[in-house]
Amino acid sequence: MILLFLVSGLFLGWSLGSNDAANVFGSAVGSKMISFRKAAIIASVFVILGAVLQGKGASATLDKLGAVNAIGGAFTAALAAAVTVHLMTKLTIPVSTTQAIVGSIIGWNLFTGNPTGSKALTQIVSTWISGPIVGAAIAILLYIALKAVKKKSGIHLVRFESWIRTSLIIVGAFGAFSLGANNIANVVGIFIPAFNLEGLNLGLFTLSSSQQLFLLGGIAIAAGILTNSENMMNVVGNQIVELSSEAALVVVFSQAIVLFIFSSSGLSSMITGIGLPPIPMVPVSSTQVMIGSIIGIGLYKGVRNINFGILGEIGIGWVATPVLSGLLTFFSLFFVKNIFGIDVGHKLTDLQEPAAANMAGQITGTGLSHILKYFLLSVLFAGIAAIIYFYFLERKKKREFRRSEERFWSNLK
Amino acid sequence: MAVFTRTTRNLIVRIEEFFDNIDLGLLVFREGVKAFLDKDMETFERHISKIEILESNADKLQRSIENEMITHSILPQHRSEVSSLIDVLDEIIDTIKSSLIEISIEMPVIPPSLNHGIETITEASVSAGQELIPAARAYFVAPYTVREKLLKVYFFESETDKLSRSIRKTIFQEMNDLDLAQKSHLRYIIHHIENISDTAQKAADILSGMAIKIIM
Repeated sequence: MILLFLVSGLFLGWSLGSNDAANVFGSAVGSKMISFRKAAIIASVFVILGAVLQGKGASATLDKLGAVNAIGGAFTAALAAAVTVHLMTKLTIPVSTTQAIVGSIIGWNLFTGNPTGSKALTQIVSTWISGPIVGAAIAILLYIALKAVKKKSGIHLVRFESWIRTSLIIVGAFGAFSLGANNIANVVGIFIPAFNLEGLNLGLFTLSSSQQLFLLGGIAIAAGILTNSENMMNVVGNQIVELSSEAALVVVFSQAIVLFIFSSSGLSSMITGIGLPPIPMVPVSSTQVMIGSIIGIGLYKGVRNINFGILGEIGIGWVATPVLSGLLTFFSLFFVKNIFGIDVGHKLTDLQEPAAANMAGQITGTGLSHILKYFLLSVLFAGIAAIIYFYFLERKKKREFRRSEERFWSNLK
Repeated sequence: MAVFTRTTRNLIVRIEEFFDNIDLGLLVFREGVKAFLDKDMETFERHISKIEILESNADKLQRSIENEMITHSILPQHRSEVSSLIDVLDEIIDTIKSSLIEISIEMPVIPPSLNHGIETITEASVSAGQELIPAARAYFVAPYTVREKLLKVYFFESETDKLSRSIRKTIFQEMNDLDLAQKSHLRYIIHHIENISDTAQKAADILSGMAIKIIM
């Protein structure tokens, strides 16, 4: 049963990869600065690295799904969030995965009779407003600054675009790394205490039990990026506002700056230290900051450049995501509890522990360790083989192209 | 990542070389026409051989620039406009080559009284092309200055038109000693010279739109 539950986490990972990869590479792919294939490969590799090397485990998860005090409830909540994000991805609406999860937890709270703090609701609504506004303001400032630098420097257009492309790849790789590191907890964090796998020796290093789960989750996110994120990237980078190459870079930088400002307590205390009011620690969604940044650039270039139809759909999607996820969780819990007879959780008391702690030590056998080990190894080798194959395919294409050019010019003589 | 390879540098060099070829081609045309009017056929033939080399180089550069941009996904958002600009600039050197070859084959008999007029119209037409090259170079480094540079192209194109009208009027209304075939032949040669400034204006129109797009 636990493996079935794990599948719902992996489905959430796949949906997250499909939807959130656009936050990292959407503007670059949409503006045609980087091909989707290249972006998807870079994002997949760095998402997996981020998940395995810097994945934040149960501690981050406990803040979210960990509040759910039964594995059945956690599974249902994760599945409802995943279905909601998947649905939004199908409709090519970029939404916040975290808000889908928060919506699920509210649905679980309603079902089990637990109170929902006003904090969660404030969190959802405040990010709809604060994220896009701050993102837009920072994007406008950055865009003006970059334009001024370009004008003053007199740099050759070809060289400028080349630097922009390289910057987009580097920033995108970092973004993908933190996407993996920060979101892996949502995908498999809840299952860490439930699995006690043998260490996976890869020669140079050994992956611990939790790292193997993170790798599995990372692969799920990467699969989402590779198979289902292209449309979303094009919507983000092309359809709201037609982004130029410098605008594409501004969008990712503005997103990084806003996320840093609103999550850095050090920066806030530094500002209070010089007598200024503190920065409010509002949890902002990277999706919403990115959409805000794109709107900011659209406003700067002229309102006529903005596609308000798509923007309206995105706005409705943001409101619909937590609501739909909550409703889906509520009704799914009813079926899971009453038809399948699975414990989905109950009213929390001070003595009760969350689901993650309740399931500790359930799965230990060496059989599962071996299955997972061979699965992970085969996926890793297949991935490396695919990358090598594409590399040599590209080289072969270039060589054949060069030969055909030589033939063309020699025939012309 | 093109920034870590020689691709970017090579492409910039090729674009600059391409512009140099067009610029030199225009000079060769002016000197070639002058040599023909002076009946210095040796120099004229030398200029034809030179223009053939320049035109062939321009073709190779054009193809390699366009190939490079496509294979390395360089300038994805401006690629089609840059290609159009390069195509139309190549059209200028093609026109120069074909005009000089036409003159060398047909050997038009130009009355000495028209020498000055043809030299002036050649100068104006070539100037329109020459003023286009700095504007095209500026597109890549200082797009804000492109439109002001293009003003001179439009000026010389309209000058060429005026001169052409005036010289054709002289041929058809004042030079009664020439027969119709010779008059038509001269009009045809003038039309060839005029083509250079017309193509320069076509390129200027493309460049003007490109500059607006990149500034906005």
